[in-house]
Amino acid sequence: MKNVKAIFRLIGLYFRLNLSSAMEYRGSFLLQAFGMALSNGSFVFFWWIAFQQIKGTIGGYDFRDVMFIWAAASSAYGASHILFANMNAITRLIATGELDTFLVQPKDTLINLLCARTSLSAWGDLAYGFILMALTHGRDAAAWGMFLLAIVIGGLLMTAISVSAHTFTFYFGDASLVGNMAMEFTINFCIYPEGIYRGFVRVVMLSLIPTSFIVHIPLKLARNFSPLWLVILLAVSALYCCLAYCFFYRGLKRYESGNLIITRM
Amino acid sequence: MSAIHVENLSKVYRTRIKEEGLKASFKALFKPVYKEVQAVDDISFTVEQGEILAFIGPNGAGKSTTIKMLTGILHPTSGRISVLGLDPAEERKKLSYRIGTVFGQKSQLWFHLPPIDSFVLLGAIYDVDKKTLNKRISELTELFELGDILQTPVRKLSLGQRIRCEVAASLLHEPDILFLDEPTIGLDVVVKQSIRQLILRMNRERGTTIFLTSHDAGDVEQICKRAVVIDQGRIILDQPIKNLKYHYLNRKIIAVRFEYPQHLEVPEGVKLEKSTDISARLSVDTRICTIDSAMRWLIAQGGVADITVENPPMEEIIASIFRHKEGRIQ
Amino acid sequence: MKAFRKYWTILRISLQNAFVYRSNVLGGLVFFLIFMFVFFNLWRAIYQSGEVAGYSLVQMVWYLCMTELIMFGCRTGIFSQMNEDVKSGSIAYQLNRPYHYVWYQFFNALGGMVFNLLIYGLMAVIMAMIMVGPIPGFNFATLPLSLISMMLAMFINFFFLMALGLTAFRLEENTAFYLIYQKLVFMLGMFIPVEFLPGWLQAITRYLPFPYMTWAPARLIVAFSWELFWSVVPVQLLWFGLSVILSMAIYRHGVAGIQAHGG
Repeated sequence: MKNVKAIFRLIGLYFRLNLSSAMEYRGSFLLQAFGMALSNGSFVFFWWIAFQQIKGTIGGYDFRDVMFIWAAASSAYGASHILFANMNAITRLIATGELDTFLVQPKDTLINLLCARTSLSAWGDLAYGFILMALTHGRDAAAWGMFLLAIVIGGLLMTAISVSAHTFTFYFGDASLVGNMAMEFTINFCIYPEGIYRGFVRVVMLSLIPTSFIVHIPLKLARNFSPLWLVILLAVSALYCCLAYCFFYRGLKRYESGNLIITRM
Repeated sequence: MSAIHVENLSKVYRTRIKEEGLKASFKALFKPVYKEVQAVDDISFTVEQGEILAFIGPNGAGKSTTIKMLTGILHPTSGRISVLGLDPAEERKKLSYRIGTVFGQKSQLWFHLPPIDSFVLLGAIYDVDKKTLNKRISELTELFELGDILQTPVRKLSLGQRIRCEVAASLLHEPDILFLDEPTIGLDVVVKQSIRQLILRMNRERGTTIFLTSHDAGDVEQICKRAVVIDQGRIILDQPIKNLKYHYLNRKIIAVRFEYPQHLEVPEGVKLEKSTDISARLSVDTRICTIDSAMRWLIAQGGVADITVENPPMEEIIASIFRHKEGRIQ
Repeated sequence: MKAFRKYWTILRISLQNAFVYRSNVLGGLVFFLIFMFVFFNLWRAIYQSGEVAGYSLVQMVWYLCMTELIMFGCRTGIFSQMNEDVKSGSIAYQLNRPYHYVWYQFFNALGGMVFNLLIYGLMAVIMAMIMVGPIPGFNFATLPLSLISMMLAMFINFFFLMALGLTAFRLEENTAFYLIYQKLVFMLGMFIPVEFLPGWLQAITRYLPFPYMTWAPARLIVAFSWELFWSVVPVQLLWFGLSVILSMAIYRHGVAGIQAHGG
């Protein structure tokens, strides 16, 4: 328990430091956040056109459903990249040896390194989700509850997915392409109704890249609450995060044994 | 109890060899080719508490690998390490509270923020309570003359100021041992000098044990009492600095350029290594001829346009160590 | 003739360069694949729920493959290149070279564009064939005409991006324009055929360059007609000319500023 408290304290400290670092460049910060929100906005336009064309549902979702998953995905992405922006830089940190700095510090290496950087535009993503929710769901308490839950769970799952993908660097050398692909798949699975995908991809979305647990199941719960699905959601998310955590530390063992330096000939 | 004790330490890297090109990359995915590299080869040494030890050798000699094993980043292939009575590979976290590290150019300071913010973060990471931390910061501020620097964003600091903060940052949790991996690499003479003084002062005032790697003989001469020379993973010399200085660090290289052609008649202790009409490279044996008198003699020749004085490169020192050893065996 | 040889050499060298630096091609192909796969799934779902005006699913998938191809084909980093050249001041060193900077950049990027078009084009055709099969009634004889329209579309996009990059002469933060521009391209033709837009927006869009960068060639590929060809290609030529003139004007204006004030 003391351990958990220490971790939260560390995350909080990094957050404060990151924020004051961002404030050194206020103009650029606001512009980036605004640009990101604007850029997300164009997707709303697409969905509006699409639903105008066909008066019905797409992949089993209506316009409000799509807006919910968009809001949840955007805010989860934003929150995770405000706190753990280094999730996309793990390969680089390993390659440049910056990882060593975290290894000689007495705190949890993974959490310590994840927190050490923030993303400015992520604030735009976070805010965008809230705006979209306010516009499309007003005072729908169930939807807001699930939206907030999805930010926490989704943010952690996105981080875990990225960490797992980048961990392959410990095994095969430069895994930045794997990392970028994993993130791209995660986003693209998250922002469309799960019904548009079939067969194998649906299995992937429930296992390897568990995007269904980031937005689609929270939406299901917001529309039709079921305690069973809530328990499944929490359990699977916790399991996935633990697996990613262990996978990283298993890879780190290889780093410590020094079997990973790649020489080019 | 000794601060660091190392016995028969070896490290073998098993490196994947990868050839350029897509086809080779693809092949390597299924049938990786490995090559073994002996980075550290059966070394043993001891560092006493309060000692300053320099670990010197050319690039790729195994210095960094050794320091990484001593701090627990890398695990040894074989051999035994004890740092403050702990095994770094097994008890890295426990050890980390008691050691400080400065890795060459890898900064622990936040570039856009004043150092004080980084200090507070590091204080939290090392579980230093607020009161102790503040006391510690003011002590270090005085010792390292940090003053206003603490409130200035790191990006606006000069390199020398930045390094001072960097060293201070690694001392916040009052470590018993400070590891410095190439602390003076890429710095100019003045900054190098101030770092050396810092290290000395810290050692005197707090009795901090210092383990320093360097490929610069100058670091060693000025601050260490003992030096270990490593080459190709093996210790080739472990002696008090006095001996080392007398036998191997007894030469300086002077490169000089004249405004008009000069014919040089070198005094005793000075050797002409290379020369043209208007320039020369001289090797000075400081046991016989001091730098001061060598310079006086040069200036007296007249028409000096440019002078640089430097230490002979590490490779030369190592070569002379080997020569000396062989001579003794014969 | 001499000038032609000069720019031809620039093009040839940049093409060779594109073939040597293949490292990011693999990444590009992977992302092309991901996007197409997702779009295919999305539109398949949309078509299951109802009919969409003027396009069959096969046509829609080919349409998206083509617009995506044009966008990937234009990935030469011209905007950031201009931005950097202007902000770092290295553009000043190119003033006294014996070529026109704007044309130099164009032919320098052309090699990359041709390379991209070949690689991603192959990918696009293979993917579309696997996902939905050939376009019914496709006439190979008209393909060269559609390709002309496609090249024009890429040139228009290229010169507008260049003009946007060159605004760095005057504006410190021009990245916002770039973002807005990209989203307009995205909404007005690339992701959504112009026919799908509401009437009032279609009317406005007809007078903007965006549909001529994506919609026009893609529509020609999936449903060629001479009538359409003669109604879009002259407009494309017009926009091509305008975009070149715009780039030149901003460039001249900026350079005049440098010469007068020393940057």
